Amino acid sequence: MTSMSRPSAAPLPLHSKAPSRGYWLWQAQHQSWSLLIDRRSLAVNLGLSLLLVVSACTSLATGTLSLSFTDVVLTLQGRGSTMAEFVIRELRGPRLLAAILTGAAFALAGCLMQTLARNRLATPGIIGIDNAATAFAVASVVGTGISLAPQTMALTGAAFATALAFGLAGATGTRGYRFIIAGLAIGAISGAFTQIMLSSVSVDTANAAYPWTIGSLNARSGGSVQLLGYGLAAGYLLSLLLGRALNLLQLPEAVATGLGLHPGRTRLAGLTLSVVLTGLAVAVAGPVGMVALIAPELARTLSRAGHVPLTASALTGALLMVLSDLAGRTLLAPLEIPVGLVTTLAGSPCLLWILMRHSPVIRQ
Amino acid sequence: MTIKARYISLWLLLALASTLSLVLGAGTSGIGDAFAVLAGQGNEEARFMVTELRLPRLLIGLVSGLALGVSGALLQTLTRNPLAEPGMLGVSAGSAFAVALAILMGASTATLTTLVAQTGALAGCVLVLAATRIGGVGQDPVRLVLAGATLTGLLLSLTSLLMLIDQRAADEIRFWVTGSIAGKRWDQLTATLPSMALATALVLWVVRPLASLALGEKVASGLGHRPDVIRLMVILAVALLVGGATALAGPLVFVGLVVPFAARALGGADIRKTLWFCLPIGPTVIVAADTLSRLMVKPSELPLGVITALIGAPVLMVIVRSRRIPTL
Repeated sequence: MTSMSRPSAAPLPLHSKAPSRGYWLWQAQHQSWSLLIDRRSLAVNLGLSLLLVVSACTSLATGTLSLSFTDVVLTLQGRGSTMAEFVIRELRGPRLLAAILTGAAFALAGCLMQTLARNRLATPGIIGIDNAATAFAVASVVGTGISLAPQTMALTGAAFATALAFGLAGATGTRGYRFIIAGLAIGAISGAFTQIMLSSVSVDTANAAYPWTIGSLNARSGGSVQLLGYGLAAGYLLSLLLGRALNLLQLPEAVATGLGLHPGRTRLAGLTLSVVLTGLAVAVAGPVGMVALIAPELARTLSRAGHVPLTASALTGALLMVLSDLAGRTLLAPLEIPVGLVTTLAGSPCLLWILMRHSPVIRQ
Repeated sequence: MTIKARYISLWLLLALASTLSLVLGAGTSGIGDAFAVLAGQGNEEARFMVTELRLPRLLIGLVSGLALGVSGALLQTLTRNPLAEPGMLGVSAGSAFAVALAILMGASTATLTTLVAQTGALAGCVLVLAATRIGGVGQDPVRLVLAGATLTGLLLSLTSLLMLIDQRAADEIRFWVTGSIAGKRWDQLTATLPSMALATALVLWVVRPLASLALGEKVASGLGHRPDVIRLMVILAVALLVGGATALAGPLVFVGLVVPFAARALGGADIRKTLWFCLPIGPTVIVAADTLSRLMVKPSELPLGVITALIGAPVLMVIVRSRRIPTL
């Protein structure tokens, strides 16, 4: 949304005079810093935030016990009935929080990875990071002698899969298709290992680990949500700091280098952020990778900006996740469709459409 | 080693895998007892185990291995894409979804399942061919595979949704969806045989025109073949084969990738040679994978689909790593 810039001895042409239409430029006195705001992005982000608030309230109000919007608002102010208090604070609130955090984390991770690979298909879900993180998390749940917490295991799995995909892709790095196909294979192998672990333990243990394999907000533990909260906050701030470099990364590599960017270092930083966010989110909700693919795509279409829509992606991801969870809870009530299933059902046609319509290479 | 020697040793390998599949496994009777049964003696219990439990399983493995290997080779030649594979392109998932739907509606007879699975596979095939016709996707092997993987994911999710709706059907579908050839009966095997025979006839008829189609559409037309008819026949054959195999063994991914890859590596790129080599390799892969699935977590069993994924995914990586993805 915003980009900070310090005027240097020879400022870039973009900042040397008043920016073109569609931007607001705020300059502090003595021009020690300036703030460039893309109006369209600002409008999009405000609109998305509003939608997110509305759908969050709807999600809080909807369920076996229906509450009115007034009830929800009163309870949030701490003046609701005991019943509403319990339902919102103990049941729906934490779940909603988990949905928002995981959605935002997956989408941010997807946006980062798509940008640095310059490929809209390069999302953590497709290149197998989700599945590997899940396999590792399941390993810690079914107790295969590894006594680390699921969060740590999910992170390890995510890092492991990424390293493996890179190793197999060889010199091509994240560019090109080898990375994606290697990821597909890693995902398949991880899925197979998850199956092996699930079928070699007792039914009870397998049931405890099952939600992880399809993606569900039921399996969340308080600790992992908290960890994801901190991780997302830090990851978001870091990615904003990285934003300028990411924008430059969309230019041809020689141009980016000429403008003072170190492409390799930027890619590594972005990839690390993306992997950490994915691992933390998988530890909460399991593999819900479709969000990472669709949300940045939507955000790019909405904001139509020349820069990487980090904030818009995170907001869209949170919105999609809240809506999917709401749909999963209400469509077949009293049955609950796991959120992973909802996102796959809704996201696959979008992905197919992208595959058919666009070249996967992102051009600005 | 000459090609002929390689070919013969492949059949010997299949014989070895089949024998192992008959004598190895969980259970109280040991290997010695099983060998005694094979020699025409042995006690009652071992005889039951070998002839009633393991033999049908072996035969089903042989048939589904043949079908999947051959259909993989056909589909790869047709789409000119070495990564095209019935399991990954959504053909198997289509037929799995159709079967799940039929089970949900209350179907249970073996014949109906076969027919339903083949119809679903046909729908999946048509989707694949439609996708290859869309500009850009057809020329790009990886995009086609990704589209197929997405379609597979979508159909499997729909299947899970069906399982969620009906708990009774869920138990029936769940085991079957991960792929397994355990606990199948003779009548299920015999129910698929007529369509398999029909598919074989189709393949024999279409293999020469298909080889010319591999040289290009114009060459095929010039040689007096009609490309659209060839494509239709190949698709019918693939649908019959994959549908039959899926009805028997559930959706097995990666088999149709591994088998033609090995066949091409051993026998050369000509589709006729590839098909001949697929004949022993396909059943060997399935039978060996099935034997492994019995031995890995004794006394319970792994789903067969898990083992084929473990074998197939590394092969996928090898193909992608070894060279620039070639077009056939």
